[in-house]
Amino acid sequence: MGAHLGRRYLWDAEAEPDPLNMPSFPAELGLPGRQPRAMVASAAQLAQARVPLEQRDFCGHHLLRLLRCQRDTFPVPWQCHPLRHRWDSCQHEDYVMRMKEFERERRLRLRQQRLRQRHGDGDGDSE
Amino acid sequence: MAAGALRGVLWPRAAAGLRAARAALAAPAGARAASEMSQDMMPGPYPRTPEERAAAAKKYNMRVEDYQPYPDDGLGYGDYPMLPDKSQYERDPWYQWDQPDMRHNWGEPMHWDFDMYIRNRVDTSPTVVPWHTMSKHFLLFLSIMLIMFGLGEIYPSYRPVGPKQYPFNDLYLEKGGDPNKKPPTVIHYEI
Repeated sequence: MGAHLGRRYLWDAEAEPDPLNMPSFPAELGLPGRQPRAMVASAAQLAQARVPLEQRDFCGHHLLRLLRCQRDTFPVPWQCHPLRHRWDSCQHEDYVMRMKEFERERRLRLRQQRLRQRHGDGDGDSE
Repeated sequence: MAAGALRGVLWPRAAAGLRAARAALAAPAGARAASEMSQDMMPGPYPRTPEERAAAAKKYNMRVEDYQPYPDDGLGYGDYPMLPDKSQYERDPWYQWDQPDMRHNWGEPMHWDFDMYIRNRVDTSPTVVPWHTMSKHFLLFLSIMLIMFGLGEIYPSYRPVGPKQYPFNDLYLEKGGDPNKKPPTVIHYEI
């Protein structure tokens, strides 16, 4: 379907990230001063609202506000659109972060390959 | 109450009287009604001589060349003819049969399993496409689909994104982790 699948299955599986083993490099490598992601809603609040497990991610606070608004304004559907937009854009940012993680993993793998080749050439020349 | 008791006494005597009268007029045991077939029309034993075969063919309204009894291997068909195992659906629908729903003419020899081969039941009509062509096509389709699904399992397709990140140590407690144990620490960073 995508170039990454062709590269992984047909060419160089070493240089392509394996989505089941991610991230395989330390988090600080190449990005000094990284901030951990902040979780706004608490686990107790998400549990009380009986949010499905797949939706208890880092955008949970937007979802809780949206659900509360929907419960309060039912059956009028258009009053919660701003909150819905905020949750959707949070999910979009999360997806973009996942894409960036994938790309970071890929570049680090390529760098690792290059380092190995360089060390391999260096040893061959020295010997 | 008295009248009922009297009636209760009288009716068995009347019934006994009727039974006696009916028995006097009844036919002897083993007799058959005139509407049934006579003994010479009933199926008989397996024909051994050519004369018996000719007589059996005449009995069943068949030509001697066409008449073929079931083989005498002890299954007990007697001299009943062995007709081809074709259902009534295979017969011409446009011909003016005497019995159109059965597609059967009066006096025509009926198959042993005629009641099975009526149009509501078993249908032996040939398929539109030959059987081996149908089975080849089906097996080809099935095998291709299975191979493709198998390939999809071995080499799954995914988007070029990392896995979704969850808080609280990847939802350790929510997924049923032991609350008394310390969960493996998982920290996700912004990028």
